[in-house]
Amino acid sequence: MAKLQNIFKVASNEKLCPKFYRLCIDAKPLKGKIKPGQFVHIRTNSGYEPFFRRPFSVYRDKRYIEVFYEAVGPGTTIMSQMKKGDDIDVLGPVGTPFDLPDKNIKQVVMIAGGIGIAPFMVLSDVLKKRKLEMIVLYGGRTRGHVYPMKEFKENGCKVHVATDDGSVGTHGRVSELFDKINLDPETTMVYTCGPTPMMAAVQKFARKHKLKGQAACEEIMACALGACLGCSIRTTNGFKTVCYDGPVFDLQEIIFD
Amino acid sequence: MSEINLSVKIGKAKFKNPVTVASGTFGHAEKYYDLEEVKKLGAITPKTVTLPAQEGNPPVRIVETPSGMLNAIGIENPGADGFIEQKLPGFQKIGVPLIISVLGHSDKEFQTIARKFTDAGGFAALELNLSCPNVGHKSLVAQDPKATYRIVKMVKKIADVPVIAKLAPNVTDITVIARAAEDAGADGLSLINTFTGMVIDVEKQKSVLGNFTGGLSGPAIRPLAVNLVYQTAQKVRIPIIAMGGIATAQDALQFILAGATMVAVGTMNFVNPRAPLDVLHGIEDYMKRHKIKTIKSLRGKVKR
Repeated sequence: MAKLQNIFKVASNEKLCPKFYRLCIDAKPLKGKIKPGQFVHIRTNSGYEPFFRRPFSVYRDKRYIEVFYEAVGPGTTIMSQMKKGDDIDVLGPVGTPFDLPDKNIKQVVMIAGGIGIAPFMVLSDVLKKRKLEMIVLYGGRTRGHVYPMKEFKENGCKVHVATDDGSVGTHGRVSELFDKINLDPETTMVYTCGPTPMMAAVQKFARKHKLKGQAACEEIMACALGACLGCSIRTTNGFKTVCYDGPVFDLQEIIFD
Repeated sequence: MSEINLSVKIGKAKFKNPVTVASGTFGHAEKYYDLEEVKKLGAITPKTVTLPAQEGNPPVRIVETPSGMLNAIGIENPGADGFIEQKLPGFQKIGVPLIISVLGHSDKEFQTIARKFTDAGGFAALELNLSCPNVGHKSLVAQDPKATYRIVKMVKKIADVPVIAKLAPNVTDITVIARAAEDAGADGLSLINTFTGMVIDVEKQKSVLGNFTGGLSGPAIRPLAVNLVYQTAQKVRIPIIAMGGIATAQDALQFILAGATMVAVGTMNFVNPRAPLDVLHGIEDYMKRHKIKTIKSLRGKVKR
């Protein structure tokens, strides 16, 4: 068993577009062990400010373990300043991954908003070996929030983008792109990750058309090990921890407030 | 190495070293931890168990604070029967003595839960959580010396293992409550539970936590906790399990020098799961460096 908590080295840390960064971690013991949807819990500093670790979906599990993040608060701002060769304290991988599509599924739809695109890269890496149609519906606030979709296209995904200000792709919310989905419940599987209102819209759409789906959730987290029970969300089966029972849940199981 | 004696006692319960984990901070050992490492701990204290199952408080349940956190989990747990059936065997399998933490919402519940665990057996000590700030009571048992005395006395009649009272820092004079517990026959004290606190989201102009208030823990409260342990150790003879922001061996040694018999790593488990073992190894290194043979000889030795 790989150790739970490791000190690895930063292999690279680059700005991909105005808002987003990609951190590559030289984490040989974890290589090839990540299941899509799982996350790593990173301690951004050796002191107590900020106090909590920060959870990140694994973006890619290739030569390095990659995380994709936006520098928005004190933790990710510290991360954005990390350099090649720096030590990084990594817990994981942890969390319940996505269920991969059944054999009868012909179309996989990945619906993401903003930084919620992260877990779908590694999912498409795994699914590209199968004969599936992969569609990415991606919403961002502005041009600066739109991640270059090149790597998804390289994996054979059809990509459709919407921005709130219309600077790239369709003008409006990602829900404007739902008409790209083939509505056959027998052969379509929906995955979603992003802001709560977006996932709630996906849930409503999937329920209406009886589409199977899963959602990857995000919450403020302390332990990431199912110990503190701090990241619980409401589900149709009572409170569930995002870190341990999730982050991936059945799309219809989550109760969005 | 072999000449160092780290063993400690709470009542008749013996522990091979003074390091444990605070309740509510350690879970799923079987899935995540290297059990060979976990086996080195002096004791494990699972999350507080209540008589009926509790679903806990509505989100938001935690918020980061300067050098710490505020929580209002609300003791989500499977209840005494659920815990005894589903969780206790797994903890027992680890092979480290268990300190079982329980909370009743009435005298009767404390009695019943103590009986259930006494019947189940297979643990080293019973900790009475008299001090959770997040379960909706107007006052805590541990804010009232009479209630503390009454409940400890009642449980002592039932339990066949040492009984530990976990006290609250949210009191005018903790030593009064500590003495009430001692007078009632408590075999030890756990000091301290969290400080009641509040964080307000100024944009929304509302409290961040779903429960409105929560309990503050982490390194931010450590100096407060060290003082409360010191003050209490001056007034009672029973051993103290100290907790409050312990992250390193240096932190733990402060509590031992202040008079604690055992030390528990709590909130820091969330940030550094290796912290309890770092604390244990650091205490050993300190003792070697200072040529100290027994942990007992350090207890309460802070100079004035």
